[in-house]
Amino acid sequence: MFEDHEILSTIEMVKNENLDVRAVTMGINLFDCISHDLDQFKANIRKKIIGHAADLVTTCDAVGEKYGIQVVNKRISISPIGLVAAPFSPDQMVEVAKELNAIAREVGIDFIGGFSALVEKGMATGDKSLIAALPQALAETQRVCASVNVASTKAGINMDAVLEMSRAIKKTAEITAADDGLGCAKLCVFANIPQDMPFMAGAYLGVGVADAVINVGVSGPGVVKRAIERSLEEKKMGLGQVAEVIKKTACKVTRIGELIGREVADKLGIRFGIVDLSLAPTPTVGDSIGEIFQALGLPFIGAPGSTAALAMLNDAVKKGGAFASSHVGGLSGAFIPVSEDLNIAQAAHEGHLTVEKLEAMTCVCSVGLDMVPVPGDITTDCLAGIIADEMAIGMINMKTTATRIIPVPGKKAGDLVHFGGLLGEARIMDVPHLKRTNEFVGYGGQIPAPIHSLKN
Amino acid sequence: MHKLIITVLAKDRPGIIAQVSDVLYQLDCNLENVNQMILQNEFAGFFLTQAPADLPPETLETTLKEKTQGAGLTIHVTHVEENGAPAPGQGTDIFLITTSGPDHKGLVARFPAIIAKYQAHILNLKAVFKGGPKPEANVMSYQVIITPDVDSQGLFAELREKAAELDLDIRIQHRNIFDAINKI
Repeated sequence: MFEDHEILSTIEMVKNENLDVRAVTMGINLFDCISHDLDQFKANIRKKIIGHAADLVTTCDAVGEKYGIQVVNKRISISPIGLVAAPFSPDQMVEVAKELNAIAREVGIDFIGGFSALVEKGMATGDKSLIAALPQALAETQRVCASVNVASTKAGINMDAVLEMSRAIKKTAEITAADDGLGCAKLCVFANIPQDMPFMAGAYLGVGVADAVINVGVSGPGVVKRAIERSLEEKKMGLGQVAEVIKKTACKVTRIGELIGREVADKLGIRFGIVDLSLAPTPTVGDSIGEIFQALGLPFIGAPGSTAALAMLNDAVKKGGAFASSHVGGLSGAFIPVSEDLNIAQAAHEGHLTVEKLEAMTCVCSVGLDMVPVPGDITTDCLAGIIADEMAIGMINMKTTATRIIPVPGKKAGDLVHFGGLLGEARIMDVPHLKRTNEFVGYGGQIPAPIHSLKN
Repeated sequence: MHKLIITVLAKDRPGIIAQVSDVLYQLDCNLENVNQMILQNEFAGFFLTQAPADLPPETLETTLKEKTQGAGLTIHVTHVEENGAPAPGQGTDIFLITTSGPDHKGLVARFPAIIAKYQAHILNLKAVFKGGPKPEANVMSYQVIITPDVDSQGLFAELREKAAELDLDIRIQHRNIFDAINKI
């Protein structure tokens, strides 16, 4: 028996507060597909992925229908291609990407993640091929997402890889210039990349997990925002109590993700992995992280106090998730992607949110400099410096950080760039010292792991 | 022993349940379930009891009426049909069907008719109509038992069609989602 308010509040979350299951991502291990022969490898991965995921979309739709909560995106993450396709050349890697794109289309998913390499302590042959293939692979596919882990708390920062990735991003932008560098929106550079993350563009399946697994990404910034607003309308409360409201809301949302994820996994006969509760916005009013900051009393995201607010938000979300499920993973926190969030994009456009402030905020959020459009003439050195700074934040703070920066060819700070769909639109952000040479990043080598990594 | 259900209607006031259950105790009836609700100011109570074999429903009803005389209770006692609604169990699911929208006459009659046509059982119905155009002021919520032999897709499609015809928002959701969110 449910009370009226329980029924109505649940319906309200779905109907008016944009609660949904953002992604059900099936992780598929491809290590048993390895072959030195490209055609054989392509045939193997096709058979393996379609064998597991043929019914993924229909199953997610049926489960979503049953509970009245839409599973918005159905996706696949795979073992890092840099490892399982290690024998191949860059050109052959591009062929692998095209095959993955075709498979994704065939099973009806919007993205497949795992065109990835783990190079935090050095680049092997396969990793080098993959990084060299990135621009072409991203230009010639629509559904393939790529990520490269260049740093970790245990390994330090591979500065050679940082510079390589800066070049790869610039080249990707150049050959997708007709779409404002859209290829870069499918490419993340990571420190401490999680191996069970359901969200794109960074999702891949780690090497220490099962043959196939279902990971679920739940979102719900609109639900959190309304919960804060309702509580503050009812009575004046301190931030400790506001954090409690966020925690309880996060707990409810996480339980929905676990319920749906487990049922999808059961129906498909594969193992359930984790729930990742991350407040991920969409370019829709009422589904915004930036609006949460305003609900908390800040004039806009980026105003002094924003980092503290984000720290509280991120922590409360994690605590609520941990209370709701024993299998919380991925990133679990708050994302602050510029172009994907109407409110954040607006704050950036009006000059309230700068690249420097964004970087400061990434010290306490779940990801990093995400979906940040920058002028197309940014130098490789400058871009590499920004990536290195972000990686350092992740390495020292033992957390995930990432960059998804889009140098937009032919455009300058303040120009509008439109990526479309969930990727949204934004004005290009100003980057200080855009064209300065930077010898630091050119030295290459490895920044050693910090002292607190020595825990054995 | 045999199973009887006693329904009691009255103007709401303190002590109705105490009065009825005390008489049942005196008559050696074993209460299995009691449920009550207040609809505006009206009390409605249901007492499911195991009664001694030599206590027929007519006698229990007469005794209850005598012992509560002057209390303004309307009492009815009847046998419980053992082959009633199926208990939720293996293969059965419970869905919450919630409508909201402008108030119309006959709203409550229309949806149960469709549910009955598909031989599904309503486990619980709550309807609140305050009138006016505000959707949240006019809400009906049915908990419906869907057994494997019920054509659930056909039922849900017809319910959605009727809701669209009446300009109502309809949500059809498995009850587990409400458990997940509210019963922590």
